[in-house]
Amino acid sequence: MLNIIRSKNISKWIDNNRIYLIFIVVFLLATAFAPNFFNLFNLTNILRGASLGMMVAIGFTIVMICGHMDLSVASTLNLGAILVIGMQPRFGWTVSLIAAVLAGGIVGIINGLLVAKAKIHSFIVTLGTMTIVQGIIYMYSHGSSINVTDFALADWIDKAVIPLLPPRVLITVIAVALFEVFLTRTPYGKGFYMVGGNKETAWLAGFNTDRYLINAFTISALMAALGGALFSISISSAVPNMGEKGVSPLMIVLAATIIGGTSMAGGKGSIVKSAVAVIALGTLFNGLNCFGTGYEVQIFASGLVLAIVVLYEAFALYKQDRLRGQRPELLKELEDGRFKKI
Amino acid sequence: MGENKSGLALSMNHVSKRYPGTLAVDGVDFEVCSGEVHALIGENGAGKSTLMKMIAGSFSDYTGEICINGKEVRLSSPSIAKENGIEMIYQELSLALSLSIAENVLVGNLPTKGIFVDRKAMVERTRDRLKRVGLEHLDPLMPVKDISQHEAQLVEIAKALGNNPCILVMDEPTSALSREEVERLFKIIDSLKKQGLAIIYISHHLPEIFRVADRVTVMRDGKRVGTYEIEEVNAGKLVELMVGRSVSEFYSSRSTHLGEEMLRAEHLSRYGFFHDVSFNVRAGEILGLYGLAGAGRSELGRSICGADPIDEGEIHLKGQKLAHKNMGQALEAGVAYLTENRKTQGLALRLTVGENALAALIPKHTKNFFYSGKDDKPVLDRLISDLQIYPPDPSRTVGNLSGGNQQKVLLSKWLSISPKVLILDEPTRGVDIGAKMIIHQAIEKLAGQGNAVILISSDLPELVAMSDRVVIMRKGHLIGEMNKGEFNEETVLLAANGEGGFVNVN
Amino acid sequence: MSTENMSTKLDRRSSKHAKWNLWLNKFGVYFMVILFIAFGTLISDKFLTVSNFMNIIQAVAMLGIVAVGVSFITYSGHFADMSVPVIMAFSGIIAVGAVKYGIVISILLGIAAGLSIGLVNAFVIGKLRANPIIWTLAVAFVMNGFIRWAYSGNQIYPDVESKGNVAGQIFVNLSRMNVFGSLPLMVLVMFIVVIIGQILLTKTKFGLQLKLIGSNYEAAKMTGVNVSRTVGLAFILSSVTTSIGGIFLTSLAKVGAYYNGIGYDFNAVTAIVLGGMTLAGGRGNAIGVLGGVFTLGLLSNIMTLIGVDTFSQAIVKGIIFIIVVGINAKSLRKLGRDDA
Repeated sequence: MLNIIRSKNISKWIDNNRIYLIFIVVFLLATAFAPNFFNLFNLTNILRGASLGMMVAIGFTIVMICGHMDLSVASTLNLGAILVIGMQPRFGWTVSLIAAVLAGGIVGIINGLLVAKAKIHSFIVTLGTMTIVQGIIYMYSHGSSINVTDFALADWIDKAVIPLLPPRVLITVIAVALFEVFLTRTPYGKGFYMVGGNKETAWLAGFNTDRYLINAFTISALMAALGGALFSISISSAVPNMGEKGVSPLMIVLAATIIGGTSMAGGKGSIVKSAVAVIALGTLFNGLNCFGTGYEVQIFASGLVLAIVVLYEAFALYKQDRLRGQRPELLKELEDGRFKKI
Repeated sequence: MGENKSGLALSMNHVSKRYPGTLAVDGVDFEVCSGEVHALIGENGAGKSTLMKMIAGSFSDYTGEICINGKEVRLSSPSIAKENGIEMIYQELSLALSLSIAENVLVGNLPTKGIFVDRKAMVERTRDRLKRVGLEHLDPLMPVKDISQHEAQLVEIAKALGNNPCILVMDEPTSALSREEVERLFKIIDSLKKQGLAIIYISHHLPEIFRVADRVTVMRDGKRVGTYEIEEVNAGKLVELMVGRSVSEFYSSRSTHLGEEMLRAEHLSRYGFFHDVSFNVRAGEILGLYGLAGAGRSELGRSICGADPIDEGEIHLKGQKLAHKNMGQALEAGVAYLTENRKTQGLALRLTVGENALAALIPKHTKNFFYSGKDDKPVLDRLISDLQIYPPDPSRTVGNLSGGNQQKVLLSKWLSISPKVLILDEPTRGVDIGAKMIIHQAIEKLAGQGNAVILISSDLPELVAMSDRVVIMRKGHLIGEMNKGEFNEETVLLAANGEGGFVNVN
Repeated sequence: MSTENMSTKLDRRSSKHAKWNLWLNKFGVYFMVILFIAFGTLISDKFLTVSNFMNIIQAVAMLGIVAVGVSFITYSGHFADMSVPVIMAFSGIIAVGAVKYGIVISILLGIAAGLSIGLVNAFVIGKLRANPIIWTLAVAFVMNGFIRWAYSGNQIYPDVESKGNVAGQIFVNLSRMNVFGSLPLMVLVMFIVVIIGQILLTKTKFGLQLKLIGSNYEAAKMTGVNVSRTVGLAFILSSVTTSIGGIFLTSLAKVGAYYNGIGYDFNAVTAIVLGGMTLAGGRGNAIGVLGGVFTLGLLSNIMTLIGVDTFSQAIVKGIIFIIVVGINAKSLRKLGRDDA
């Protein structure tokens, strides 16, 4: 009996921490086998590459904890990217960065209002706003990439001032940490889990559920715009259609959030785990890249990881469903082989 | 008269609430004093739940006046209701399954240290509250999805008590509890009463009302019929007031003609759920299956009808071995199971009465690939008139019907194919008395046509009155059977508690 | 006047209202189609011509073929198939690769390729109950990577140059040929798919049980419906029509490539939802979906005629999409059928 309990606890622990295990396995494999993987320059590169995804994953995870979906981050991050670059020559970095992020916030408020007040399915709302915002971006940029004249900031923001942590990565990590603390340690933050876990209960318990949803979508859009803006600053240019023909950041973030253990049903999830999942996927990409494999193998591998996680979850649920409600004393009978002899 | 009735905790004057198409609560006056348990009864659809939701602040558009402690308030949102010391325990669980017990119990006012949640205080406070309902063995940090349903029900009660309410509304709080737990709950209620709480108690179980209530208000068709001191009424009188007519003989005795053996279960086991169960049921017979919550009754029913697997043993239908792999095949052979969860597993609430009632007929009415709807209308008309489904309109959305009528629609789904063996799991749970009678008649009619019925029910009067024979399950085993004349409510209950004597089936 | 009398009257009125709302929900999209046609006629004299209408229908034919298939999935309450783009790309590439064995083999192998993805989806989602969006997304990743890897990121072209290879020319012509005089083959196929889809959804055991599943999965299961098989079949049917769409698309592009079909996943959902299906499942039909497809076609045709650039078109489309779905959700909520 004790054995059963212990093995149950272990499997539960593994389940709760699977993303860390996945990350460690990927990291160790890459270190062991991939040439030129384990050095400061390359590891910093991984974190640089993961910054955008981590930033987007913050809000995306919060929306998912609320039991909703925000497809529009795919466009919002482009909006942030294109605005900050487009406005810089006239207004300077500070103003354009603030404007870019706030523009994203407007998209988020609209999403939130449509989901919470008009009660339209979030999948549909954000699919619609994704199209609309993408159209606005094309109009603004006339469909071509744009550049800035001032490259100084770009040089600084991705330079490894502290080992492993260039300013952009540092900002991202701080944002992840702040939101994690906010979500899991403050009463207001915990409310997001309540709203996603059982909206009716949350409402009856006096939570303003509409406000929570609007806030979730707003945070999501703000962080996506910020992530996009910082990314475009780091390369001093912006394209209107990041990842349109390849695998878009949306897909990476969605995959990472799921791999990180956030449930699409709501009420469960963690920003840190989503962020670690983004890094894990980045490490996987990078490790494969060290072998000289192409982009296609990286997509394939990340798809495979996602598929395995989804299959594992489905299978665990299937098993749990079949065993739910078993009586321990009957199982004991079974072990003793007693009942057959009646 | 309770001596603690110091004053009016709540009074509602001429309140009404309109839903699209119906006036659910129609000019009702209702009051409850501090230190009083005021029972509220009525058939389903009488407006009890709507009235209670009004108190809980679920509606912002009611009319009339509500006073709390003599002061008029407008209860337009749940938070306003809470601020006025109103707590509600819902019939359907309102816990967030993925969150911990502590987070559920303390929802809305987690203890803080600075801006952060104080975890230690959270656990301690939860433990205190769990103690009050006898759940001190639970870890407050365990997610709610890992505890059993009756524990969840008690957690719900702990949650409501924790906010130190002055008015407590309990809507069918005992529906998922065992006998001991119900007794414990009544003790809690008694002590709360002494502390001066005003309690509104809603239940279909009249004995419970006579056990806990000081006064009782009866509602019918959205209106208040009357309010009585509990001493001045009896069960018969209350039923009469609820249905609006005299019910002299509720359960008529029926003559049964038992035929050949219809279904025989031999040493059935589903590992961990029920072990080595053997019984038989004959044509024309209604076999009662009784057991306490968790005895494995529903699990047995689900396995026989193919919804869940059978690990060992055989089922014989009319002497033929039934080798079904899934529910579809069992249905084809003529074995059907009516689920106890009407809303989650029984009905597609968004579809119409017709679509639900005919759902099981789809395979039968499909010929050469195409579904032929030409027989639909007569079948549907017959079902609606047989079961007196109201409103008698097959194009109505089922979700908009009252609970009793929803249950009739669910039953009609199986009556439409007249199965040889029908397993009924709690066919009248949460159903008003009028609908209950109609459902009973329909069940008897089905048996009278030479079909076998297995009746799983926690409603002892119903089980005893309807069954020709009763088998008892306890802790996953079938422990015995009793024939007509040998059983009554008391013996059945004793047996299920493992206290009576038996003839062993094997 | 007694209250009872009043409430029955109210009852009756709301019932009438309810029927009207339901009808609107089922075929309301065609109001929009008519509205757009009227608007287009007023706006431009080039609009109301046979050739322009043929253009519109031809432009959306592939989307129509795909959307009807995907609508089975939406109808069953499983949202959508995010692997639509890779199914289209994969079936197209395989068809191009098999052109050398003749046109019939090419098409059959192309469909079989898409079907093979559909079968995997059917098993994992139907039987193992994986989340449909996430699983099909994973499939999209894996297949996208696989196709790029297998063809080294290259595009492959059907052989139309060498002499005696009629099949290559026929393949390229599939999307351009007319039947019965001037009816494009693509359009004919689209109408056939819609008709078959409509019959399947409304007149067969499969469709009726799919509706039950979409409305309440557990209840369908407890009514004896073989839920795994029925849901699986929805994904299989979706993959078949998607493959057909993919083959047409590849023929039109004259090239098989991993990026064929990008955007068709979301466009299909847009058309389906415009056509009156709700993501909650169990509502709508194939003819409605066709209406949704027409709406999209008319919208871009009209906007092009009045000179709206493609960027602004996206904005208008998005706004109309949200408004229409919002109205639909509201009318259903009024009925007490809140399922948005």
